[in-house]
Amino acid sequence: MAIALNVKDLSKDYRSPVKEPGLWGGVKALFDRRYKDTRAVDAVSFQVAEGELVGFLGANGAGKTTTLKMLAGLLTPTSGSALALGHVPWRREAAFQRRLALVMGQRTQLWWELPAYETLRLNQSIYEIPEAEFRRSLDELVDLLDLREHLSVPVKKLSLGERMRAELAAALLHRPKLLLLDEPTIGLDVVMQKKVREFVREYNRRTGAAILLTSHNMTDVVELCRRVIVIDRGRLLYDGALDALVARYADHKILRARFTGPIDTSLLAALGTVTSAGDGRASLQVPRERVAASAAALLRDFPVGDLDVEEVDIDDIVRRLFQGA
Amino acid sequence: MRKYLTAYSIALQETLQRRSTLLMDRLGGFAIVLSLYSFWNVLLGDKTSFLGYTRPEMLTYVLIINVLRSFVFTGRGWLLVGEISSGRISSYLVRPLNYHGYALALDLAQKTVHVASAFLEIGVLVLAARGGVFVPRDPAAWALFALAAAMASLIFFFMEFAVSTLAFWTSESGGPLFCFELFLQFAAGAFFPLDVLPESLRRLLAATPFPYMVYFPARVLLQKVSPPEAMRLLAAEAGWLALAAAVAIGAWSRGLRSYAAEGG
Repeated sequence: MAIALNVKDLSKDYRSPVKEPGLWGGVKALFDRRYKDTRAVDAVSFQVAEGELVGFLGANGAGKTTTLKMLAGLLTPTSGSALALGHVPWRREAAFQRRLALVMGQRTQLWWELPAYETLRLNQSIYEIPEAEFRRSLDELVDLLDLREHLSVPVKKLSLGERMRAELAAALLHRPKLLLLDEPTIGLDVVMQKKVREFVREYNRRTGAAILLTSHNMTDVVELCRRVIVIDRGRLLYDGALDALVARYADHKILRARFTGPIDTSLLAALGTVTSAGDGRASLQVPRERVAASAAALLRDFPVGDLDVEEVDIDDIVRRLFQGA
Repeated sequence: MRKYLTAYSIALQETLQRRSTLLMDRLGGFAIVLSLYSFWNVLLGDKTSFLGYTRPEMLTYVLIINVLRSFVFTGRGWLLVGEISSGRISSYLVRPLNYHGYALALDLAQKTVHVASAFLEIGVLVLAARGGVFVPRDPAAWALFALAAAMASLIFFFMEFAVSTLAFWTSESGGPLFCFELFLQFAAGAFFPLDVLPESLRRLLAATPFPYMVYFPARVLLQKVSPPEAMRLLAAEAGWLALAAAVAIGAWSRGLRSYAAEGG
């Protein structure tokens, strides 16, 4: 299969002003500004094949978004090379941009005061999409994203979930072959998260586009990606199957319970590792193979008012990965 | 080209959609013109002319300021500063789009609405003043005025663009932009004809692009400039336009190279 992304020893340094604390620091900075170079991405190398859907993981500030921005052509790297769909991204060639989409969960390209349909029309012109193809693409996206009734409503009146779906429609109208998704489910409720995930999976299946996805939401990654790339402090820590990563570092789930009456917290230890207990609540780490049994025991032996079973936080996995590296 | 026409059409819709912002903008501009109109009216008193301007010419100058303010000084500088500082500009940079062309299309949409409104306001003032303004009969004066105003508008667009791109390097580019706009309006003759200023200051300003923004087009319309002089000044204006465009485009490409794409 052809290579969509070929990244080799990519590095990026940021230069930021350093200011001493307080008012005097502010005055000094006015006359004598000092700078500090920070390496945000450090010699990262990987490849992504066409049609692959890869999770790009890391804690906050790990360098994920910086890498994505370099691959989208927004940032020029300090050193290293990258080829995206055969192009050097930061040359910003139109032929590359016509096949690329970058979606940032916290950003919008939609015109705020106008219905999303107008932005779609604008993108039709920008990407020079013929009318028949525009209609076909729009119909497909509107169905997949369940957007039909929302297209004629001013963007400012849409809910966050509706806006995110309209955002995806605007970004994918030209059927990009490389899709860079930065936190596509951030801030969405669980139902909307599920819809967006289903859409991403379906888009990948139908178009064979290569997708690189960053998310702090473990469910996004587990449901969508068979392969993950993990970076921390700019360095690549892991590139391989998600199953292997989870088996190695997230061999447990979290049970969170709220109790309706007093309990003997010492009895909880038999069900898993108690990470916190008190104020009518408890949190336990339970090995994956014992989750069902422990949850059943909790419900049976304790006055449980509410019980959540959660995946381990991505940051936690990355931290463990980093500690083990 | 079609992408820029679509951008123009969408921006036009959005400008009309923001009705209260538009109304406030126009009211603010109208208040300035009304003040200037009243000020010159009182200053002229019983005199037939002042500083070489007859009463109708001076009043026309004031009214034409309203059109030129709307056509020349309506820009997107503050939006550009915001888009660069917040990183929102990224969404344009990943699309196959010439950002200058796109910004110009949005700018033109805004100008369309503002100029239409400015002419309406002038109509109201002329009716209220029961005429008394100078209307040139020579079509050549109108044609030269349109050309001078179009170039003035482009000079402002590129100059404002260049100043706004400071946002690529500093988060405090709002200050320079504010000073630039304020000084520009004074130096362009958008408050009064530059003939009011001392000779030395006028000579100094003549060596800058600023008088070409309002003072020169207004004088062309008032037929205060001889045809050969008008041609010479139009050529100089074209030179300033080329320089402003080169600086704006140069600053933009340098800015993009150091762009940090702020924010998530």
